[in-house]
Amino acid sequence: MMGSLDALSARQIATGVTRGDFSATEVAQASLDAIASRDGKTQAFLQVSEELALAAAARTDAARAAGERLGPLAGVPVAFKDNMNLVGTRTTCASRMLEPYESAYTATCVQRMLDAGATPLGKLNMDEFAFGSTTDSSAFHPTNNPWDLTRVPGGSSGGSAAAVTAGEVTLALGSDTGGSIRQPASLCGVVGMKPSYGVVSRYGVVAFGSSLDQVGPIGRRVEDVALAMNALTAGGRDRLDATSRDCTQDYLAHLEDPIEGRAVGVIPALLEAEGLAPEVRSAIERAAHKLADAGARIMEVDLPNMASSIAAYYVLASCEAFSNLARFDGVRYGYQEPGCATLAEQSSLSRAHGFGPEAKRRQMLGAYLLSSGVYERYYLAAQKVRTLITADYQRAFAQVDAILMPASPTVAWEHGAISDPAALYLADVYTISNNIAGNCGISVPVGLGTDSGMPIGAQLQGPTFADASLLTFARALERACDMEGVVAPAFVGKGGEL
Amino acid sequence: MPLTREDVAGIAAYARIALTDVELDEMTAYMNDAIALLDPIIDYDLDGVEPTFHPTGDLANVVREDTVVAGLSLEEALANAASIRGRSFRVPAILAVGGSA
Repeated sequence: MMGSLDALSARQIATGVTRGDFSATEVAQASLDAIASRDGKTQAFLQVSEELALAAAARTDAARAAGERLGPLAGVPVAFKDNMNLVGTRTTCASRMLEPYESAYTATCVQRMLDAGATPLGKLNMDEFAFGSTTDSSAFHPTNNPWDLTRVPGGSSGGSAAAVTAGEVTLALGSDTGGSIRQPASLCGVVGMKPSYGVVSRYGVVAFGSSLDQVGPIGRRVEDVALAMNALTAGGRDRLDATSRDCTQDYLAHLEDPIEGRAVGVIPALLEAEGLAPEVRSAIERAAHKLADAGARIMEVDLPNMASSIAAYYVLASCEAFSNLARFDGVRYGYQEPGCATLAEQSSLSRAHGFGPEAKRRQMLGAYLLSSGVYERYYLAAQKVRTLITADYQRAFAQVDAILMPASPTVAWEHGAISDPAALYLADVYTISNNIAGNCGISVPVGLGTDSGMPIGAQLQGPTFADASLLTFARALERACDMEGVVAPAFVGKGGEL
Repeated sequence: MPLTREDVAGIAAYARIALTDVELDEMTAYMNDAIALLDPIIDYDLDGVEPTFHPTGDLANVVREDTVVAGLSLEEALANAASIRGRSFRVPAILAVGGSA
């Protein structure tokens, strides 16, 4: 026995497979073993792709035996949020609408992870069509926070965060339209990065808000996340996504750079905001002190229009969601109501019975906001607020290299504790302006709450396309805190031996 | 002015989401709560501010050489449809039988 997957970083796994310390097949078996013994409690997975995993691992082992050069993620166990297509798996978006949908092609982000040698372990739970911040709106089952199974893992990429936190996989991909990578990463105590808009291809990812959506990695270490960023951007611009950019670079290269003399912004008004839990505020203040101890200059900055970001976001996201989800009419794919006399009746009943409550709410709101006479008052105004928020960030980033703030105003809450949709929307305040402006952001675990004992993440935001620089700050913060590589205590050593 | 139940029924018809009576009541309450959350945006001073429709702003059409490449096969394209006939997706009548719809 070589040890446990719990203790190994992605790079250590890839290096071990490349050197022959263990085989990719042994790693895949260890991950399947960890899933078998842990996922009953977390319920992070919607499908475990055992056959795909073992076949990919066997290909990696055969390539090594043939003397071929292995990829930087050789044998690393990875799983994907279930809004990402992977041939050989269903892509359900955690919705009855797509329950039997078999992926017809593979998303670029998924393919690039596989091209780097990763082993695909399956598809992860999420809020239905990514509408939510708890993962409770999955049509199939909730996912539990590995630190306390009575609590939510956050969302919408809650399955991705929980699977990594419980040590079922080493890396996962999530998607972030208004905080859906950073918030669950914060609530579960792992690292979650939303790259700048355009860094990662959206081709093959089921669209929610096309001007806001971005795919990114979740891992237990900043280094693992940087390694995944290398894989996601290798190959440059994806010609299958018109918004994709060539962002190929070595995201590991500057991880250990000192941050001495570099400027980190804090926004005092945000730390005084109503609804921010005292234990989260003190954790963020401690994080600022630690960055200062590492030599960063802490400066006050302001994002004066951030207060309007919730209204702007819920206008834009709902309108884009309504447009994107109009394609689910039950004809080419998706649930189809039987026995209807007309196409209109079939569409209306297929959508009524295929979508869950929150998916219906978001689409209804979007349909209203895009209607004649209403569009100008809300949608156009929201796009103008987007201009103001973007300008706020540009002013702030002229002074500082990164901005520090919470990713969530509270630690993870108990299942069902917040049932009012509008109250849940307000909890997105720290993450959504970043999507509106297209900047990069990352949540790094900085400790456990002094009241709750639950993990708290500090969010760092950086300028558009300064993703590598953002990772330098994230690594500096990780070095200063004691949460690197942590698997939730109840799961350590439960299966997963190599 | 708040949306009425009839307003919301009209939006549901447009959005092609059939709602039950109970759902219509719940949706009306939700819509009015959500719109109250969004309302601050109407009062915002936006004089002279240009809209930003896209975060990166400088989108251009992506084109490739006009060469034939393989796409989904017919079988693959039809594989996820609930109802097909031969080489086609099968749908009910587009116009109501005998009606004016």
